This record gives sequence, C-alpha cells and structure tokens, in this order.
Amino acid sequence: MTEVTNDSGYADELRDHQFDGIQEFDNRLPNWWLWTFYGACIFSLFYWLHFHVLGTGALPMENFENEKAAWAEIQAASAIDTTELLAMSKDPTTVEEGKAIFTGAGTCFTCHGMDGSGMLGGAPALGPNLTDNNWIHGGSAASIYTTISKGVAEKGMPPWGPVLGAERISKVAAFVLSIRGTNVEGGKEPQGEPYSGD
Amino acid sequence: MTDTVALEKRRITYDDGTVRAFVFASVAWGLIGLLVGLLAALQLSFWQLNFDTPWLTFSRIRPLHTNAVIFALVGNMMFAGVYHSSQRLLKSRMASDLLSKIHLWSWQLVILGAAITLPLGITQSKEYAELEWFLDLLVVVSWVAFAVNFFWTLKIRNERNLYVAIWFYIATILTIAVLYIVNNLALPVTGTKSYGIFAGAQDALTQWWYGHNAVAFFLTTPILGIMYYYLPKAADRPVYSYRLSIIHFWALVFIYIWAGPHHLLYTALPDWAQSLGMLFSLMLWAPSWGGMLNGLLTLRGAWHKVRTDPVLKFFVAGVTFYGMSTFEGPLLSIKSVSALGHYTDWIIGHVHGGALGWNGFMAAGMFYWLVPRLFGTKLHSTGAADFHFWIGTFGILMYVVAMWVGGVTQGLMWRELNPDGSLVYPQWVEIIAQVKLMYMARTIGGGMYVLGWVLMIWNLWKTVASGKAVDGEAEVTVYKPAAGGPSTARLVFGAPTIMTVLGLGACYMMADSGNVVLAIVGVVVLLVIVAASGFMLAAAAKNRFQWHDVTESRPLAFTLLVVLAVVAGGVVELLPGIVMNREVPVAASGKLAVMPYTPLQLEGRDVYVSEGCYVCHSQMIRPFYEEYARYGAPSDIHESAWDHPFQWGSKRTGPDLARIGSYLETGQPKYNELWHYKHMTDPRSVSADSNMPGYPWLETTKVDLDDTPGKLQAMQALGVPYTDEQIGSALDDYRKEADGVLAKLREQAGPDDLAWDSELVALIAYLQRLGNNELVTRTAAAGGK
Repeated sequence: MTEVTNDSGYADELRDHQFDGIQEFDNRLPNWWLWTFYGACIFSLFYWLHFHVLGTGALPMENFENEKAAWAEIQAASAIDTTELLAMSKDPTTVEEGKAIFTGAGTCFTCHGMDGSGMLGGAPALGPNLTDNNWIHGGSAASIYTTISKGVAEKGMPPWGPVLGAERISKVAAFVLSIRGTNVEGGKEPQGEPYSGD
Repeated sequence: MTDTVALEKRRITYDDGTVRAFVFASVAWGLIGLLVGLLAALQLSFWQLNFDTPWLTFSRIRPLHTNAVIFALVGNMMFAGVYHSSQRLLKSRMASDLLSKIHLWSWQLVILGAAITLPLGITQSKEYAELEWFLDLLVVVSWVAFAVNFFWTLKIRNERNLYVAIWFYIATILTIAVLYIVNNLALPVTGTKSYGIFAGAQDALTQWWYGHNAVAFFLTTPILGIMYYYLPKAADRPVYSYRLSIIHFWALVFIYIWAGPHHLLYTALPDWAQSLGMLFSLMLWAPSWGGMLNGLLTLRGAWHKVRTDPVLKFFVAGVTFYGMSTFEGPLLSIKSVSALGHYTDWIIGHVHGGALGWNGFMAAGMFYWLVPRLFGTKLHSTGAADFHFWIGTFGILMYVVAMWVGGVTQGLMWRELNPDGSLVYPQWVEIIAQVKLMYMARTIGGGMYVLGWVLMIWNLWKTVASGKAVDGEAEVTVYKPAAGGPSTARLVFGAPTIMTVLGLGACYMMADSGNVVLAIVGVVVLLVIVAASGFMLAAAAKNRFQWHDVTESRPLAFTLLVVLAVVAGGVVELLPGIVMNREVPVAASGKLAVMPYTPLQLEGRDVYVSEGCYVCHSQMIRPFYEEYARYGAPSDIHESAWDHPFQWGSKRTGPDLARIGSYLETGQPKYNELWHYKHMTDPRSVSADSNMPGYPWLETTKVDLDDTPGKLQAMQALGVPYTDEQIGSALDDYRKEADGVLAKLREQAGPDDLAWDSELVALIAYLQRLGNNELVTRTAAAGGK
C-alpha cells in the first residue's frame, strides 16, 4: 500500500495493483450508504413478519373485499323511483346535464346519434332511434333506467351502471325521457314495440 | 504474492477490428432503433401514422424498437466495450479470432432476423424475449461463442488478478445465458411459431424474472464494467474504493435476481412472491448506488476536466441517470406506489431515463473516447460532442418529465371515484385526451435525443475519415499461475458461501414456517449470522480483503461463486411455481372451471399474440375497487392456467381485456360481435377519439387451418387437457363455432361476406371468451401465505 495525497487533499490508500494503468483506492464505505442498506434490510424483516408471519397486515385481496363491502353499503342506500325520474325529465337543468353525458366522449351518442335519433353523420348508427315511440326493451321510465344501467349484452348495449353511477344514469334517463316521442326529423326507422304510458 | 511470475516478455497485438465492427453496428442499428421508437411515439398521437399497414403498426413495431435498443444498440456497444477493455485488462489478445467473428456476425444476423420477423408478427409476445424459437437458437450460438471466447481469454491472460470490470462481465455472460435459455424454453409448432413450456402465473413469473434481470445483467452489469474501465481512464484518476467494488458487486448480483416479481404486484401471483419482489427491490437500492458512488467519487480531483471533456460529461450524466433510475425503480416497487404507477406511462418514463440516460450516454461517452483511439486520431469536433450532450440531456429530461406527468395523470384518473362509488372517468378516451399533450412533449424530447445521436454519427464519421484503423499493441509479461494455493472447492465453499447459505436457511425458517415460535427462532439465528458476518467482514477489511484478492486470481472459483449468488434467488422464486400443481378447480357443472380454448379461440389467441395486442392491453385486473368498477372482479390465478404464453401485459395504453367477454357480473360480453368487427376494422367508427390502430387486414387474412390440429397437439403435450377426440374434430369444431360468430354478426345487421376462416372471426371468438369461466373471482383466502 502506498499513501498518496490526491489533488483534493484527501489522504487515500492506493492499492499496489494496477490494471492497464488503472489504480484503485481502498476508501471506507460512506456511512449513509451503509445505513441505507441496513435500513432497507431491517424494514424488509419487519414487513415480512407483519404481513406473512404474524398475519397482522391485510393483504391486497382482504383490503379489496372490505372496500367492496363498504361501497355496496353506500350504494344500497340509494335507489331510484319512477316518479322522481319523470320529474327530473321535466327539469331543464337536469335534462341539459343528462344531454352532456349522452353526448360526452365515447358514451351514448356513438350508437344513438348526437340527438338520439339513431343517425350519426348522416348514416344509421349501431343503436335504435330513441326519439320515436317504439322501444325494443320497454319505453317506461323504469325500463329505460334499467336498460341504461344493466345494458343488453346480446344487442351490444353495455351496462353503464358501474361506469356512470346511479346519479348520472338518472340524468341520462331523464334526458332520454325528455326526447321520447319527439320524433326528430330524419331519424332512424322505428324498431321494437310502440309504447304508450308513463 | 507467492506466484512465480516468469520474466518472459512478449509483444502482442490486440484484436481491435472486432471492436470497430461492434462500434459501427451499435451506432448504425442504434439509429434505426431510435427512429422506430420515434415513429411509435408519433403513432400514439396520430393514429394515421399506422397507415393501416400490418408491418408498420404500433403493436408490431414497438417490440422492434425495444429489441433494437436493447440487443442492437446496447448489445453491440457492450460487446465493443467488453472486447476492447478485456483484452487490455487481461493483457491478452482475445483467445480466438474465429469465435470473435462468429459472435460478431451471428449477432448481426439475429438483429436482422428480428428486424424482419417482428414487423411480420412472428413473436412469442414475451417482452424483450419476443424472438421466435429459430432466432433464439441463433442467439444461443452467438452467446456461447462469446462466452467460450471470453473465458478462454481469462485462461490465457497475462495478469494475475481480474479487475472489477471483468467481474461484471463474468456475471453478465453467465446470468444472461441462464435467463435467456430458461425463459425461452418452448415447443416449436411450425417453422415460425412455438408455444412456451410455461403457462399463466408460472410463465409470468419466469418472464419477469428474465425481463427484470435482462435489465440487470444486459443493461446494467456490463455497463458498470465498462464504467469501471473507461471512466478512470478518461478522468485519469484511481477508482474511489476497492472494497466498495467488492461489496456492491456481490450485493448487486445476489439481490438483483430476486426483484423480478415487482413487475407483477397486485396480480394473481401469490402474495409471498410479490412481497419478495418488493422487498428485494428496496434492498437493491443501496447496492445499485454503490456503483454510482464509485463512479462519481472517482472523479474527486478531476471535476475541472468535466467542464472541457465531452467524454466525462457523458459519463457523469450517464452515471447520474443510473442513480436516478435505480432510486426510481425501488420506489416504483413499493406496492402502494406500484398501484398508482403500474400500467401507466410513468413506467415508460422510468425505462427511458435508464435507456437514454444511462445506456445511451455511457455508449456515447465510450464511443467519443474509443473511436479516436481506434483510428489513431483526435475527435473531429469537441463542440459538436458538447452540443450532442446538451441536446441529449434536455431531450431526456423533457421525455421523462412528460411521462411522469402523463403517467401520474393516468393513474389518478383511473382511480378517481364519485361519492356513489362510480368512476369519475369511465371513458378511456377521456383519459387518453388528457395525456395527448404529454405524448407530444415526449416525442419532441425523444426527437432531440435522436438528433444528438445523428450528430454523433457525423462526428464519429469525420473522426474515422481523418485517421486510419490502428490495432493496439502492448509488451506484456507472460503470466504463469503458481501451483498450490487454496483449492477451487475451498474458495467456492469458503466462509462467505457458508454464511450466505446459513443466512438463507434462517430466512426460510423465519419466512416460511407459518409458526410464530419457529419464526422468532429464525430471526434470532439470522441476527447471529448477520453479526458474525459483520465481524468477519471487518476482519477481511483489515487484512485488505486477502481472501477476495486470492479469488480474483482464480477465474473458475470466481465464476462458480457468481453462479451460486445468481442462482439462489432464481431457485427460491421459480421452483415453487414450476413444481406447483396447476390444478384448475371443477365447477358446479362438473366441468373444469376454466376450460381450454376451443380451436377457434386458440387461433384467435394466436392472432392476438401475433398482432401484439398485449403491447397496449393487459389481461390482469388488480384487486382495487376502481378496477372492479371498470373491468370486473380481480383476475384469478387459474384463469390463465392454459395460457402458453401468459398475456397479463404490462401497459394499459388501452383498457384491460381480462373480462371483455364477461362484463362485470353479467356473464355477458361487454360488446357484441358487430362492435368488435367495427372496432377492429376502424376503431374510430365506434370510439371517436380512440388512438388505437386499425387492423383491417384481419378481415381478409385467413387462418392457416393446416396448423390448427398441430397446435392443439402441442398444447396437449404441454399439459393442456385436450382429449384426442377434440384434436381429431378440431377443424369441424372450428367451422361450427365460426359459423356461429357469423350468424350473430348477420343478426346484428353486420357484414354478410366475412369469411368464416378469416383471422377476424377467430379474434372475435377469443375476445368474447375472455373472462367467461365458471370461476370468476380471486378471494382473500386464496391469497396470502
């Protein structure tokens, strides 16, 4: 070993080996570096004991099931009734809000047209006309709400309930009820059974 | 030392021709890899740039980009550095010029093969292991040539000890060989198609054991070796600390291999494996930083040179980016951080900090140092190299910051819930729209980086033109190892190995007994072993690591120790999965809860694999309420039991597809057949703002039905429960099911001219099947250990 003083004034020990001209000091390891390492190891030990030996920590699936149960409780507290839906369909603010969801990116309009007429860009879209009096899955307020919420898989209507949530589904249903039977000009030909009621 | 060193001197010439060829290959292939990346980035902003052309489509060229950057840019750069520095550090020409040539040219052939096959959709769909079986064989040939040549050179070296750079090269060569072979074990079905022998969770674990350690032992260890040679050379300073080299080298190779499961946090992988992945990632932080420290602290007393020397600028920034990435990696491995960042563009930012900052800058620094020396001249323009450094640095920062912002935005929007538990952003396209600006910023950052690379090519070209190729020469003292010294077995099974094995035993007792008393005994034993090891290390430091010094002069013993260190983690993590009985439960109906795919679905799945759908879509729902609301119940480990290879994915540029065929708890597909038909041929016709490429050719491309029974047979051989009758009636069943899909399409007023044997019909059948099992949910009871 040779003691040398380098440019920056440190007294370092130089090893007597050299490799293709490369020399090596043998400095001590920085303490903060060592403690970073020790800390991670100690943390790991306790983490493992907590979650995998003592079982005192909740694992992901347990957390999920608790979370799911909590949400189910909240959702059970809010149900919908027909009278309220019909009232909402008469309220211009609610209808406007419903329309905004209906025409929002990637939602209802892609299959039912911007105005619900079943026409998109001059061509028939995937879904039926919602402005006539004919309904494939029922034209009552409750049926419309259910169709939007639960979907009709075999027709390609997705269930929007879990996606939009009860409040927004009600607003969309209110908007659909507000255009029901308005027979927008140039709409898609009627499909399903005529409905009169509500 | 006690070795008798012969005094015979000899003049040798190094093989620098191979080095020049690898440099050239890295620079040229690298440009192609970067440009493909740029195109892929642009395609995310402008779907039109997919040109409705199969071989230009994002999902096929993104794997080309990753493979080109890893295996062509970094691979060739690493080989250039290894060949150049090893010869000088070992004071010997490479053992065999023929093997050098075989390695060089077979590697370029692999890259050419990748550049042709990946755009054609010939892929295994395992990330960074996409190359199909025939190219895998060529990779093995190439790597074996490299390994034999390298270890042979160790044997004939004229230097007593192996320098730290060589340690890292040894670790690289051995570990990559093990990883690559195990992860690519596959049963060929046709000349261009194979099924991996692992399935589902087992395959996922093997893949990410490989994927993570490809980063470790292909992108990290060889580059650290290169740093240990070129940085002190360029700075003309001694390396900061020999003992830091020892500690961080062994800690790195031992710990890295365990960290793979951090790519699979919150998946259906058993919780114990996930926790191991996270904890070892945290413990890896300090060993990784050991490399950065030894690099940066070597510059003590030479910082003034960084101001004027572009080579050192690149090295300093490269090592700093390494430090940043190896801090970000453990951070992202913490489960709750992964919950936010996984599947988002944050991960894209993370890997680019490493690839562009660490790998790309270390490459540039090495090239600027090396090329003038290989051509006996001076660098053409220091100013241009400086400019490359600055534009590259700004480019990386812009890229990474854009992806941080974009990734965190995605993660937060995915999880935001209304007061009633519904999603605030139910529409995927809304989220895409939010990150569009970040996608553009990323493209600009990446573009700046490419510009820097082009400037480097010009600069190196002018440098080459101003000189002519010279091969290094040296006068060496012939080294003959003295007889005697400790036996190899004694070196390999010395105190460090024994203490490690005892420590692992104590860990196992603590971790796996399930018995609190045994666990406590395990902890106590572990603490005793750690304390004893600490005292032994302190003693070793006092006598200047004599033990290690001797091992450095014994390549075989050193290599065996590296093998032991690397294999430990792999065995503990992989073995339980490999021997695990993949028994799928029987449902109430008396059938398997997860049935093997029908022939049509299986062909559809192969289309899914070939088109690279996994590049943007995961099939793994995590146990979070927001994912439940968006996709349905958390994915169960059995659901992918028959998936050779698994399709869990790692990125959600589009939504998860695990339950696209059985939406939420309805048992019905989310979309009907017509929706899928329209979505595949023209995504914008059903989702106006989608950035997904169209796949119109699926409508006209036919499935090659000659291969179908053979595919079922191969699956049967791999343990998927197909009966011989099913294989016999495969084609009839295929036709029947395809006609059913067509009938539904007609019923939905869809096309009536779609061919029953088109790829699109098969793909639709596969998608409608996803999630349609009688077993739908993972439960808490099945989770933990």
